[in-house]
Amino acid sequence: MGHFRLLMQVAFRNLFSSKINLLIGGIIFFGTLLVVVGGALLDSMDDAMSRSIIGSVAGHIQVYSDESKDKLSLYGDWTGEPDLTVLDDFSRVKPVLEKHPNVKTVVPMGTSGALITSGNTVDLTLARLRDLYKQRAEKGETPELRENIDSVKSHVRQMVALMEEQKAKSRELLSDAAVDPQEAEALARARTDAFWDSFEEDPFDSLEFLENRIAPQLPDGDLLDLRYVGTDLDAFQRTFDRMEIVDGQPVPTGKRGMLLSEFYYENFLKLKSALRLDNIKQERDVNKKRIADDPQLQRWVKENQTQTREILFQLDPIKTRLATERLQKALGSQEPSLEKLLSAFFTTTDENFDERYQRFYADLAPLLELYRLRMGDTITITAFTRSGYVQSVNMKVYGTYQFNGLEKSAMAGLINLMDLMSFRDLYGYLSADKKAEIAELQQASGLKDVARADAEESLFGADSGNTLVADATPGLIDDSKSFEGGMGALRREDLAARVYSQEEIEKGVALNAAVILKDPTKLDQTMRELTQAGKDAGLKLRVVSWQTAAGFLGQFVTMAKMVLYFAVFIIFVVALVIINNAMMMATLQRVREVGTMRAIGAQRSFILSMVLVETVVLGLVFGAGGMLLGSGIMSALNSSGIPAGNEALYFFFSGPRLHPTLSVGNLVAALVIVLVVSAISTLYPAFLATRVSPLQAMQTDE
Amino acid sequence: MNPAVAQSPIVSITQVTKDYTLGKVVVPALRGVDLQVHPGEFISIAGPSGSGKTTLLNLIGCVDTATGGVVRVAGQDTKQLSERQLTHLRLHTIGFIFQSFNLVSVLDVFQNVEFPLLLQRKLDKAQRRERVMQLLEQVGLAHHAKHRPNELSGGQRQRVAVARALVTRPQLVLADEPTANLDSVTGQNIIDLMKELNQKEGTTFIFSTHDAKVMNHANAVVRLADGKILDRLTPAEATRAMAAGAEAH
Repeated sequence: MGHFRLLMQVAFRNLFSSKINLLIGGIIFFGTLLVVVGGALLDSMDDAMSRSIIGSVAGHIQVYSDESKDKLSLYGDWTGEPDLTVLDDFSRVKPVLEKHPNVKTVVPMGTSGALITSGNTVDLTLARLRDLYKQRAEKGETPELRENIDSVKSHVRQMVALMEEQKAKSRELLSDAAVDPQEAEALARARTDAFWDSFEEDPFDSLEFLENRIAPQLPDGDLLDLRYVGTDLDAFQRTFDRMEIVDGQPVPTGKRGMLLSEFYYENFLKLKSALRLDNIKQERDVNKKRIADDPQLQRWVKENQTQTREILFQLDPIKTRLATERLQKALGSQEPSLEKLLSAFFTTTDENFDERYQRFYADLAPLLELYRLRMGDTITITAFTRSGYVQSVNMKVYGTYQFNGLEKSAMAGLINLMDLMSFRDLYGYLSADKKAEIAELQQASGLKDVARADAEESLFGADSGNTLVADATPGLIDDSKSFEGGMGALRREDLAARVYSQEEIEKGVALNAAVILKDPTKLDQTMRELTQAGKDAGLKLRVVSWQTAAGFLGQFVTMAKMVLYFAVFIIFVVALVIINNAMMMATLQRVREVGTMRAIGAQRSFILSMVLVETVVLGLVFGAGGMLLGSGIMSALNSSGIPAGNEALYFFFSGPRLHPTLSVGNLVAALVIVLVVSAISTLYPAFLATRVSPLQAMQTDE
Repeated sequence: MNPAVAQSPIVSITQVTKDYTLGKVVVPALRGVDLQVHPGEFISIAGPSGSGKTTLLNLIGCVDTATGGVVRVAGQDTKQLSERQLTHLRLHTIGFIFQSFNLVSVLDVFQNVEFPLLLQRKLDKAQRRERVMQLLEQVGLAHHAKHRPNELSGGQRQRVAVARALVTRPQLVLADEPTANLDSVTGQNIIDLMKELNQKEGTTFIFSTHDAKVMNHANAVVRLADGKILDRLTPAEATRAMAAGAEAH
């Protein structure tokens, strides 16, 4: 006991006796701090992100077909959507999974993407005008209809005027060769009073001219990428309780329909000028950035100044006048051009921004369509099916939703939800409706099903003449008949109104299924048992954890952890070398002291333990300091929270702020690392110290 | 004291040689030395630098082994002992006093003196305390127990070293030039202290010196030159002989 006390005394006394020790201590201190803070932060992030992933679409476990070529990747991977083989009949998979005692719910899913076009403003306005003329042709003219027609007509005329202005502007930049004379001629014609005066003579002819020659000149209607998850919407909402409807309403049970993510709706479907104002406000308010010194904010301001066309095109003459008046008043200006007024209005600085923002929403927004889509609108989604043909489905958008805490996350926010029936249509698998429709068509055309094996015989066999397949006449296809069929067209009309039973929703293909567990801690065990259950039931199922299913995203924190631990490893390798060198120097400095101890009668083992104990004490003291500061930092961060500065962090933080916690594990890890590193780095110097001869005690100072 | 023990020498050196190898050159430090030291003796080893004083003390102190001949310390042939056993022998039989004091700078006076007792693990805390304080008392540093070595003068430090060397009650205390780093008065005091302890405790002292005044306190002076023992004289004879030697020069 006295022995150890002596060792400790020597160790503690030596602790602050040399500068080298302070250097070593400093390295250990920061190393420990890094392990504690970094480790705790990443653990907390891992935890938060797992909540994000599990709570949004993944659930605890994902199940998909084992015959799939690619791995399931819920958030997409670098190459786009993974190539999955479908689960032919979800209704057969579900009971197998649900039989497991730890499974709470199973939600069918399928993820895919399509491009949607938001449409060309001129096209859309012309379509409205055409509708009005059609109504007039059918029901005759009423004063109300006349007024409507005139209003839309003047709106179109104003658009043409704006287009001409812009053409004139771009002409300054382009050489004559770049100008298509036919386009210019058409535009010039649409500008003449003569054209508009004679408009009513043959309105459909005039409309056709505008639709074919003018509208295409407007490079509008950007394509939007729409990622969607087809699912049993009711089960989805029940299962993922972080989901909440923001705007509109849920899709009624059993109906076809779509819920857009609020994030997607705000960021992709909102009027860009308004979105930019929102973004500037957010950066200013949340991240305390200033227009004066942030290039990103300056770019948004600049874009708002120059990209006013979206607003100008939306306004018909009456609204244009109103907007002009309001802006003149707001700006105290006499400028008659709305474009110039808007540009001036959007010239925002740190001083006037808040006032302009408020004014935009109070004065201008009521005149504008802030979103390209309203709740209840129908959009046409066109997707390439798996077999390569193009399939369109009209979808009613019932509302927008968000995952609580993940409002601002682009990761969670790019997932739009649709019913499973529509998903199957878009994915190219036949729903019961479609099958019936095709059967009807086949019957009508006199076709009959031929098994593949029998095809040759059927075609070339004795009586082949009677069963030859399609007998189409090229060039004479009446599309309403051959593609829709009389009944098919009607069906398509009712699709939106039809209510599907739960059985219909479940009986059919799904790409994957999310499984929610009662006890998530038994994840691995449940996964093994579910794999076995699938095998027993003769289903080829692949069962993966949420982490695997999330693809690169699930690995992200693991990767970050590896980077951290690699950094820690490097730091400690450097520390190892430095400590080793420093201890060598310290040992050399103490050769006489060690020699004296040896001469007096200290065994080599005593010297060895003395040096080791010293470093371990050094490691513990400074390591404890690092841990203490680390714990302090973590507890401060825990109470204040780390704000999620950008959209990606929302997902990793599972909310607007991360309140990181420190676990015992983090401290233990730091402790073990410190002890191991300090012990290893001292082994050689300690060994050297034991080789010091007692003779060296006899040497004199000189 | 047991007469039988008093009879047998505590140090017995016969025909001892010691060579040092410096590169390819072999330098003989001792060339056949015979020496017997009996318990209770207070012996001075004298000789010019390079005469082999330190080498001889190192061999007796078991921190080095002879090239040839036999060194017996407390009846044991040091050549037959392992490194561990030699260390053990040093701890329990021999006390060391160094020319440069060699105190452990991070420990205070008390801890420095207590150090060998802790290594021995024979006494409990109270006994150690009593022993240490008793010795500090004897060397007159009881009031400095809590001081660090760097807070003491050279003489005080050497007195701590003396206390440390004697705290285990060794049979033999070796001191290599104990006064070389001290002024003559302080050196004198240290030798007086050693002599006092020699007489009171019966501890055998062997110390090297080239100072005639220091030699005067010894029972016997062993003169060493070129690795050989010239003679073994009384202090008075030695002083005369050295004076003659100096004149001859």
